Amino acid sequence: MSKITPIAAAVAAASLFLVAGQGIAQQASTPAAKPAAGAADPAAVKRPEPLKKRAPEKATPQTEMLIMDSQGIRMAPANVSAHMLAEYLILESGGFDLAQPTQEGTTGRDRLVQDEIQKLCSLGKGEQPDSKAAAKVSELAMATIKYPEGGVKLGDWKKGRELAWSGFGFRTAHNPDDHGKQTPGANCYNCHQLATDRTGGTIGPALTSYGKLRGSSEEILKYTYGVIYNAHAYFPCTNMPRMGARQLLTPEQIADVMAYLIDPESPVNKSSMSGMSGM
Amino acid sequence: MLKKALYTLPITLAVASAFAAQAPEDVLDRLVTKSGNSAYLTQSPQNRMMMPDNPAFLVADDGEKLFKEKRGPKNASLEECDFGEGPGVLKGAYVELPRYFPDTGKVMDLESRLVHCMKTLQGFTNDDAPIKKRHGSDSDMMKLQTYIAIQSNGMPWNPPLSHPLERAMRDAGEVMFYRRAGKMDFACSTCHAATGLRIRASVLPNKDVPEEWTKAISWPAFRVGQDHVRSTQHRLLECLWQMRFPNIKPGSDASIALISFWTDAARGQPAILPDMKR
Repeated sequence: MSKITPIAAAVAAASLFLVAGQGIAQQASTPAAKPAAGAADPAAVKRPEPLKKRAPEKATPQTEMLIMDSQGIRMAPANVSAHMLAEYLILESGGFDLAQPTQEGTTGRDRLVQDEIQKLCSLGKGEQPDSKAAAKVSELAMATIKYPEGGVKLGDWKKGRELAWSGFGFRTAHNPDDHGKQTPGANCYNCHQLATDRTGGTIGPALTSYGKLRGSSEEILKYTYGVIYNAHAYFPCTNMPRMGARQLLTPEQIADVMAYLIDPESPVNKSSMSGMSGM
Repeated sequence: MLKKALYTLPITLAVASAFAAQAPEDVLDRLVTKSGNSAYLTQSPQNRMMMPDNPAFLVADDGEKLFKEKRGPKNASLEECDFGEGPGVLKGAYVELPRYFPDTGKVMDLESRLVHCMKTLQGFTNDDAPIKKRHGSDSDMMKLQTYIAIQSNGMPWNPPLSHPLERAMRDAGEVMFYRRAGKMDFACSTCHAATGLRIRASVLPNKDVPEEWTKAISWPAFRVGQDHVRSTQHRLLECLWQMRFPNIKPGSDASIALISFWTDAARGQPAILPDMKR
């Protein structure tokens, strides 16, 4: 994630970029933090000016993110970090359909603006959260977990099984999932092996015989509910989606998925352990 | 004329067999060996067997005709289109994209450059079907992209990074690759930063294993499960869909930043063109 090198900046400055008549300068004093709805802030659009050369020493004022014209980016000044440019490209440049409606009644923009946990957990190659960040993530996550009144109880493992298998729901882009036609699933098998009659993924640990190995004590039920609700509470910066905290599953659906994991009658606890790893 | 053609037949065959050493399946075979039989590269023996009969070759043949045909309001072919190696030069052009083009002031990928030429040389607009329809083996866009791309089969990815904007886009693409967002907190790295991981039965390519990553980014490829030749932009779109991200505009700077980063990650590895994928 290197910044633009000083050499590049010199080349950039020397390339005689012209603030052309149709050009606008994108202001970025608060890059992508609170973008105005609709993006086009008239105050940020410079009046057309006569063609003139830009003096190199003036080419990178503090507040200037990118110099644009009608065709797109022309120059990324040297004081624009890769991070700033990425935020700009995602939230300001018109690349994504930020107005696209989502199933939860928000917009594409809401999907793309990062919350605190997403920011803290956007780690580069080989990076792990440091202990302070991990503690912060865990604390933020723990605060989101709402346990059911009257304690955590198991639901219907048969419903849980179907939820665990289904990868439907909340997809938007070119082919939005219609929740009126089908209930969103829990996506478990995408990443986890569960009962072994179906093939699960390996991004998460295998959960075969989950209940058989752990039992169904109050502590295990509470822990399992918490992990499904917001796994970052126990595993900061885990890959696992926050199924409860982001309202991907209802508390009832979580209870059904938990039954699939823990109920002694569930195929998860009747499957052979042979060949399973990563418990 | 026919007689002459017959005389040259043995030569033609000899040349063809020399080229066979560079067939996409051979490029892949060498990568399989080099990678120590990577689970990703070897996950579909059927697809590897079918590669010599890849339907993408037929799509490319259609693309060649389209490329050379005078079309559009300006009644021009695409033979003067400059993909970075000079007007009309296709060999090796694709593996050096995305790159900065002074005539547009933008970093462009294959698709956006092709669209640019269809507009400027042929006079098509965004509303014309040849530009508007981006996906499917029957689209002009996929026919042309496949024809252009396969001229780089077996050649190493080598996108230029000499222009500051090329570097800025690559670096922004790297940030985007690791940036978690969406309803499920996914980033590209959720799936593509470790070796041998699977989503259900599908083995995922690791961005940090170049022998795997070159196959991952070798588009156009025929997707057996979809029965269509698909583009780089289509791969990106489908990933974003699974990630629960909103729609992305084809040819947008956001898409090209990601493509710049992921092409750089395969630098030096031979492209498999056309590829065949699940």
